Parts: sequence; C-alpha cells; structure tokens
Amino acid sequence: MTTTLESLAKVIRSKNAGPFELTFDIMFDDAASYERVKKSGAINVHAIAGIYRVRADDVLVCRPYDPAVAFKITIRRPVGSGDITDRDVYGCQQHVPLMKIEVP
Amino acid sequence: MEEIIGLAPSGSMGSGYNLDAFERGIAAHPHFIGQDAGSTDMGPYYHGTGATFLPLATYRYDLAIMLRAARRARIPLIIGSALTSGANVSLKQAVDLVHDVAREDGFSFRMAVISAELDKTDLKRRLRQAPFESLGPDPLTPETLDRCGPIVAQMGVEPFIKALDAGAEVIVAGRACDDVIFAAMPIMKGYDHGLALHCGKILECAGLSAVPCDLAEPLLGRVRRDHFEVEPCHPAHRCTTVSVAGHSLYERGDPCLQPGPGGMNDLTHTVFTQVDERCVKVTGSRFVPDATYRVKLEGAEHLGFRSVVLTGIRDPYMIAALDGLFTEVRDRAEKRFRLSDKGVHLNFSVYGRNAVMGKLDPGAGVKPQEVGLLIDVVAPEQELATGVAMFVRGTLQHAAYPGIVNTAGNMAYPFSPFGLPVGPAYRFAVYHLMPLADPCECFPMTIEEVRN
Repeated sequence: MTTTLESLAKVIRSKNAGPFELTFDIMFDDAASYERVKKSGAINVHAIAGIYRVRADDVLVCRPYDPAVAFKITIRRPVGSGDITDRDVYGCQQHVPLMKIEVP
Repeated sequence: MEEIIGLAPSGSMGSGYNLDAFERGIAAHPHFIGQDAGSTDMGPYYHGTGATFLPLATYRYDLAIMLRAARRARIPLIIGSALTSGANVSLKQAVDLVHDVAREDGFSFRMAVISAELDKTDLKRRLRQAPFESLGPDPLTPETLDRCGPIVAQMGVEPFIKALDAGAEVIVAGRACDDVIFAAMPIMKGYDHGLALHCGKILECAGLSAVPCDLAEPLLGRVRRDHFEVEPCHPAHRCTTVSVAGHSLYERGDPCLQPGPGGMNDLTHTVFTQVDERCVKVTGSRFVPDATYRVKLEGAEHLGFRSVVLTGIRDPYMIAALDGLFTEVRDRAEKRFRLSDKGVHLNFSVYGRNAVMGKLDPGAGVKPQEVGLLIDVVAPEQELATGVAMFVRGTLQHAAYPGIVNTAGNMAYPFSPFGLPVGPAYRFAVYHLMPLADPCECFPMTIEEVRN
C-alpha cells in the first residue's frame, strides 16, 4: 500500500546552503521507514525535478546518507537568497511539496 | 586525558543562552569558548551595508557573559564573523563592545583583531591575474565590485592559529568559515584536521544538533587523537547519533563532501557512535587539502532602494480578480512612471496563495479566504520607489473588477503609514573562490594589550 513521505519521515526540512543553493534533509526516527523509502526509489533526481519544476541538471545532490538515516537533496536556487523576487531569504519554507511524495 | 574541549554557548551571537547550562559547560573546564557571530543567511542587505542583524546592546549582553566566564577561567574567547557580515565596520563595533565590557569589569588581556575585508583595488589586481570560480552568481567583473558594499573573505583556521600563537586571550575576527572558529585550537595543538573541522561544524550551531534542538543551548565538543565527542550542557538534553549525523547535513549541499578554506572535509567514512545517553562519538572524518588554497569571497551589489506597502484583501471577488488587476495597474504605473526606462522593479506577492514558494510552488488550488498583498518596489531613488508603491496601492484600492460589490475600497491596511521606505536593496553578486598564496595574506591581524 502506498503512503506519503510525511507519514514515514520524522523531519522534512529546507534551508539555504549558501545564497545560491536550496538544500533539503529528510530524516527518519526508525530504520525500517528509511529503508522502505530507500528501497522504493521514490526519491530520485527526476522526481525532485518534477515536483519543483526545475531541470534535472539543477538537482545537484539527491542521495541517501546512511549514517544520519537521511536523504539529502540540493537544488540550485531559482533566484539567489534575498534577490529582488526572492520571498524566502532563509529558504526554510520550500519543503512542503516533498511531504506528499508517494512511497510504495 | 589528552583532548581539547571547546564550549559553544549558542549558535549565533545575540540569540541569548541558557545560563545554567552555560555554567555547566564552564564547569567541564573547556580550553576555549567559541562563538559564531555572522552568516550570509539573513540575506544580502547585511553584507551590502555592513549593518549588524541585531542591535548592539543585544550582542553586548551575550558578549559580557562570555568574556566574564573566559577571563575567570583564563581561557581564550574566540569570536568569528563579527558582526553578521564580518566586514570592518561591524568588526570595529564588536571590538568596541569588548573594550566597553572590559572597562566595566576591569579586565586586562591580550586581544587579536583579524580583518576579513578586502581592498577593492587589490581585488581587481588579483582578478586580472586569474578569474575567480563562481559558486552561483555571474562571473566577477571590476564593475560588479564597484557596485558592491564591503567584500569579505571567509578565513580558515590559519589566522586564528596565528592569533593563538601570539598569545591572544580574546580573538575577534571578521568573516570566518563557521567551523574554523572551533577547529583552530585543536589543529594548532596537532589534532586531526578533519575531526577538528567536523567537531567545529557541530559546535558552530551549538544546541541545534541536540534533542530537543535549540540554537540557544550550549554544546561541548572534545577533540581527541582519533575521535571527537559532543554533548549538550543541559542535563536533560541529548546528542544522538541521528541528531549529530543529521546536523552534519545542515546547511551543506552534500552530506559527505564539505568544502571549506583550503580543502574539503570528507565525511564518507565517518562513523557516529552513542557513548552514553547524552554523548556521541565521531570518527573517520578526513580533511583533504586542495592543491591551491582558496577562500570564498562574499559581497552584495547595490540595486536601488526598496519601498513596500503591506495590505490585506478579504473581498472574494477582488481576490479572484487579482492577476488581471496586477496587469492593469502595472500598465498604468508604466505609463505614469516609465518603470522600464528607469529600471524600476515592481513585484506583487500574494500571501495566502503562492508568495512563499513562487515558481517552485506546485499549486494547491485552494481558494483562500483572505490574502495578504505585498507591493514591493525597488527603484534607483527612495522617493521614486515610495511614489510607485503608493501609486500602485491607490490604483488597486479603488480598482473596478467583475462582480464588485464594495465600492468603498477593497484593501485593509494593518497600520498607518501605508508606504514604507525600507532603504537600500542588494543582491549577492560576489560568491566566488579566490586563490591565495598564503592563507593569512588577506586577513591582517592587530594585537592589542587591553589594560583596565
């Protein structure tokens, strides 16, 4: 049965990694949920590019990180932090679409 | 035991901290207190102007607690990225605060002040020798540098080590890479570079890597020969392998490869082990030096002056008509002010719809009950920015749209005045890597004997 990422993960967060990148951490408090997401392949470059409607080239990092029982995703910011049309200087409110990722 | 213990009172100077926990940290006999005091995180305004993020009195409060504790324990106090941008204007303000507290408490000590601001003429000379690799913005030109406020470089451990070698008991540094504030002393004492930097990365945000996570909770880090340990000072808080490993990811693009001044910290083979309920041990982090030592430059270019109007809309027909109204009012403003000729930027942000995510928003398709509207104008002069913002709000206030029922105006203002001049607007235009022959060459240090 499929479920959403938010029902499996403990933390889903976004933040600047410097003014020109947005980085997402998806963290779990149980290894089984992490392994389930990892095995499902639901978090991949093309899924992330699709969700945020950016080019696959702009997804700079998208990988699991076992020591933290976490996934790391980094995309190029569409506009630099605090630039004229930017509306999220910290980049900390860009995580929401990840919550609804379907995990088989 | 052979170790260097660092105490991080808080993740950001001025945030305040839990004093009981801080005292527990001091009771653990740290070898130094380290404090990060700046970032690019709050956006380009602070780098552009050199202004501090918080009022000076807020920094002074935290500084006084740290300086008193450091002098009492006879250990160095190391402050990096003072204050916010770490440019000279705010570095001087931080130094003045140190003097002020020292005078009040009658402290005498040796202080090292390390500047991180670059001379633009020298920068242009360096730029002619070799282009600087960009980490995001356009290629760097002399013209860009002229449009920028102060340009700073993130220093590595070397200038801090030089200051400690000179016997500094207080170090106040301009812009510095966050982790090096905590890594300098262990590296100076011959501890592993990779472990010291990784421990520094955990310490620089203090209690943010513990459970519960709180930037204002002090954290202790113990760097030893083949590992380091981190532990929160608050007796009820815990570091867990997941919280510490998780924090290793924080604000970094790649979980394993973390570039900094002079090299890359490689966490590929890092292992996190729970020592006891509150303490985590870390091994395996490895520093790989670059062939050429490079530092990251930061600077923000001046774009003009910003004025805004903040208002709210409750009327459902106006909310439904907004996009059409924006087009109409933009046309009118264009005719009235010739926005494109003058380089005026007019932006509408509709809070309650998609203001926060903009282009990245997948769209929820839910009709909001009310929306907040931010009319945001950046123009070459402040007066013009306010003039455009107020013209736009006046036009929208009494705009006609299909289904209109309220002809008395459809925007609600949270306060008077309506038009707010925000001041200069900036954009990060310098975020480039500059090669150095000597890691200290653009970070001049002065030593001062403070006597009271």
